[in-house]
Amino acid sequence: MSTQSQHGAIAGPGGVMPSGSESAPGMTPRISLRGIRMSFGSIEALRGVDLDVYPGECVGLIGDNAAGKSTLTKIISGTYVPDAGTIAVDGEEVRFANPADARARHIEMVFQDLSLCDHIDVMGNLFLGREVARWSFLDRATMKTRARAMLDDLDIRIPRLNARVEKLSGGQRQAIAIARAASFDPRVLIMDEPTSALAVAEVEAVLRLINTLKARGVAVILITHRLQDLFEVCDRIAVMYEGTKVAERAIAKTSLEDLVKLIVGKGEAI
Amino acid sequence: MSVQYTERGQGSAIADFLSEHAQVLSIAGFFIVCVVFFSVMASAFLTPVNLLNILRQAAPILVVAVAMTFVIITAGIDLSVGSQVALINAVAAIALSGGWLPWPFVVLAMLALGALIGLFQGWFVAYQGIPAFIVTLAGLSILRGFALYLTQGYSIPIPDLPGFLFIGRGQIGGIPFPVIVSVAIAVLGTVVLSRTVYGRRVVATGSNTEAARRAGMPARGTIASVYMLTGIASAVAGLLIAARLGSGSSNAAVGFELQVIAAVVLGGTSLFGGRGTILGTLLGALTIAVIGNGLILMHISPFFTQIVTGTIILIAIWLNTRIFTANFRFGGKRRKG
Repeated sequence: MSTQSQHGAIAGPGGVMPSGSESAPGMTPRISLRGIRMSFGSIEALRGVDLDVYPGECVGLIGDNAAGKSTLTKIISGTYVPDAGTIAVDGEEVRFANPADARARHIEMVFQDLSLCDHIDVMGNLFLGREVARWSFLDRATMKTRARAMLDDLDIRIPRLNARVEKLSGGQRQAIAIARAASFDPRVLIMDEPTSALAVAEVEAVLRLINTLKARGVAVILITHRLQDLFEVCDRIAVMYEGTKVAERAIAKTSLEDLVKLIVGKGEAI
Repeated sequence: MSVQYTERGQGSAIADFLSEHAQVLSIAGFFIVCVVFFSVMASAFLTPVNLLNILRQAAPILVVAVAMTFVIITAGIDLSVGSQVALINAVAAIALSGGWLPWPFVVLAMLALGALIGLFQGWFVAYQGIPAFIVTLAGLSILRGFALYLTQGYSIPIPDLPGFLFIGRGQIGGIPFPVIVSVAIAVLGTVVLSRTVYGRRVVATGSNTEAARRAGMPARGTIASVYMLTGIASAVAGLLIAARLGSGSSNAAVGFELQVIAAVVLGGTSLFGGRGTILGTLLGALTIAVIGNGLILMHISPFFTQIVTGTIILIAIWLNTRIFTANFRFGGKRRKG
């Protein structure tokens, strides 16, 4: 296995121990993954991944395309059920059969494809799956007021809340997906490429949002290709390579150059 | 140097309204054109008797079209509704002529049978992942076959039960009872689709099934349930037809599914899912009924009616896909590149 770094050792067939693990001792991780494996047909997307994320911490998840970042986060959010491995939330082992189970544990995710319903209006998308209802009738007035407050909270400017989402720009759509995940008191927030379609000011707003959520004790997992953003919000970086976690670095003890080397599989040099 | 910031102005509210409701407005306009045209061309058209007759004939189509709107909004289709109507029609007649149960229980049992048939098909579509087109095409054949087998192809007369026959022939305040039933179901469908959590689930599932699932919605259960709705609606339509004709026949409602789907599509519901209104479906069903009735009053061959109806459906879908998509704007066409 060429990806083995100088600190690492092979843990088992196909599994690689991460190098330089930095974990806060004495605390229970908000979310803890052990030995997660997942195959799609003949392709082993994940080959035994361990990851801990603590309350109030942001972990950056980086790696090349097809390294398994999105698959791993989709397992945490209940979208995929792993073939093997365990997930524990606050020390309690859980099993997510579908996304609703993960949502019930306050695990929220901003998906790369945003997962918006184009034919439903802005507030409908913000409240998708948890509509405010009285006797199963939608309470539009309450949802409208709260939707406006949610968007104002994040400095998102969308003039018409009853516009259908298909009429909005890519940035506005992404902003809605972020607002939806961040506004319902998440305990774990996973963001898969949340800033790819955003303008400068909006990226700053998202990074500010992450720091605000961290201060409230939310555990954040951030996937991004904009490595400079990691240094503004993350406490730790986990590097994925070909379905394994090859390295974990505290943000203070690493640099952009090191991360790039780890991503492309030249971690032995550092 | 000072920098000037200005806010972008809000677009005109009227333009927003027009583009938001383009589908319903266009079918409403077309409906009015049809009514005016036939009123001028046939003197018997715009009379209370004829208008009530149109409504009575449109009632079974409208009932099933309301449920079909839900199915098509989930990007599905139910081709078996005509056969379901025939089966319910035949079974109801057999049960009533055999005197197995008092007629109110027969009505309830037929509604339950419709729900069961719909749920059975819905299970294949939602939980086994077989395309709705295939499942309901099989249903179209199987259910009609059951109806034929049970009746051996004969028409079964329904005994003189005033209570049951009222369902198809009765009037309340001069309005035929089937019309009241169909309008009530259309109103119920409108409220459920646009105002309830269930309606939101139907639209979300049709718009983006995976997003609905990720948002914690029971996407599969929702898909299965809409086929149950067409099953129940087909049972209602089957009972209306049986009570109107006073007999049950396995040859009832041939081609019914095409009229129902035509009404829904004419009403602007997208076959790709996510978009549709009951009001549009109501106007679509009425337009088809008006055209059929008007052409007959103009003494045009009934065979020609089929050609006209088919042509109108084709034009409607063409407008639906070409004009009301992203490239369409009110007030001036965009130049072609």
